[in-house]
Amino acid sequence: MTALSPSDHLLLHALADQELDVATAMALEARVAAEPALAAEYARILALKARTKALGKPAVAPDFAARIAALGQDAEPKPAARRARIFSFDHPSWWALAASVVLTAFLAGGGTYWFTALPQGEASIEDAVADGHHRALLAASPIDVQSSDRHTVKPWLDQKLGLSPPTADLAAQGFPLVGGRVEVIAGNPLPVLVYRRRQHLISVVAKPLPNGSVETAPPVSKTVDGYNMVSWTGGGFHYWAVSDLDPAELANFVDDFRKQ
Amino acid sequence: MPGNEQAAELFRQIVVPHLADALALARWLTGSLHDAEDVVQEASIRAFSAIGSYEGRGPRPWLLSIVRNTCFTWLAKNRPQEIVLVGSAAEMDGPELGLHEDPGPDPEAELIRKADAAAVEAAIAALPQPYREVLVLHDVNGLSYKEIAAMLSIPMGTVMSRLSRARRQIALQIGRAP
Repeated sequence: MTALSPSDHLLLHALADQELDVATAMALEARVAAEPALAAEYARILALKARTKALGKPAVAPDFAARIAALGQDAEPKPAARRARIFSFDHPSWWALAASVVLTAFLAGGGTYWFTALPQGEASIEDAVADGHHRALLAASPIDVQSSDRHTVKPWLDQKLGLSPPTADLAAQGFPLVGGRVEVIAGNPLPVLVYRRRQHLISVVAKPLPNGSVETAPPVSKTVDGYNMVSWTGGGFHYWAVSDLDPAELANFVDDFRKQ
Repeated sequence: MPGNEQAAELFRQIVVPHLADALALARWLTGSLHDAEDVVQEASIRAFSAIGSYEGRGPRPWLLSIVRNTCFTWLAKNRPQEIVLVGSAAEMDGPELGLHEDPGPDPEAELIRKADAAAVEAAIAALPQPYREVLVLHDVNGLSYKEIAAMLSIPMGTVMSRLSRARRQIALQIGRAP
């Protein structure tokens, strides 16, 4: 068999791939017709192309296709819009989300109630609490149930989560209750009470202690992500109060809250 | 950046119809269909967030180029020992290397045509990665030389030489197979 020049090889491939201009293609086809070595190589290229193509592409599994298609449908880049949608209670996705979180936590806990789950790093929880407060301020509404009446907020949380922290009435001290919401922190849906001081909102996140725990801890103040935060433990809950209120007023709020 | 609705619509038009192509490329670059699904899912997420950069030209080259990049990120993370150094591709693109060291007679076209799928797949899998991706992009995904050259940022001549060498190696491998 006659050895072909490297450029002949490339041109034959390009011819098979229909990448040649008409003039070059015609000239090469004439040579293929005249030279058996070229013809044999050309036939091999066509055969190989056909054989590779016949391997085909992987079948797209229907559930995989659905999963990818869902990426485009669910995504909502604006965090505020997203939050508003997730947390509007009449929206079915709220129930789906809440149900799946509770179910997952329940299963992960192996049947024990979810709040006995592994202790999370304190810092990451505080970050999540601060983030939650931040998101809530950006959202269309920072609360899911709007009421200054603790007898409305408490049953609402109870109904949503099966638990509710003591809901102090601090209107007389200048911290009226605005409402409540649910925050998912480290995989646990937790009740959040929202109070107001002038134009500042205070989010109080309450995480239940394991059953029977009588642990208490005095308030500790700190700054997390630019927010002032006070955390303390008592009455069966661990609390985080987070706000852009100044530290002294937030400390007063916490004192009043703990007295109730 | 297009609005939400527009982005979702673009995603449906650009990404969803070409999942088979995306899977084919990822399957040949990662070597496994199972891994390919992970990579394509990751690539789809990237594609959605980058949908604003889609310029309205061919959707497949755009998507496949994201899939290819995602494959390399994935390989670097999961199989660092299999990453082919960029330098080796440049060396392989030398003018004479390999092509004319006669490794034996070329198989006949008939033999190639009848080769069983497993033998062809093994031959493709055995190709060096720079050859393999050009072959898959062209012969499986059906991209043009020009589209491949643009995607890989290599000259068209390099696309042609890699493609012809890839095919020749496969042909020889099949011919050698019992």
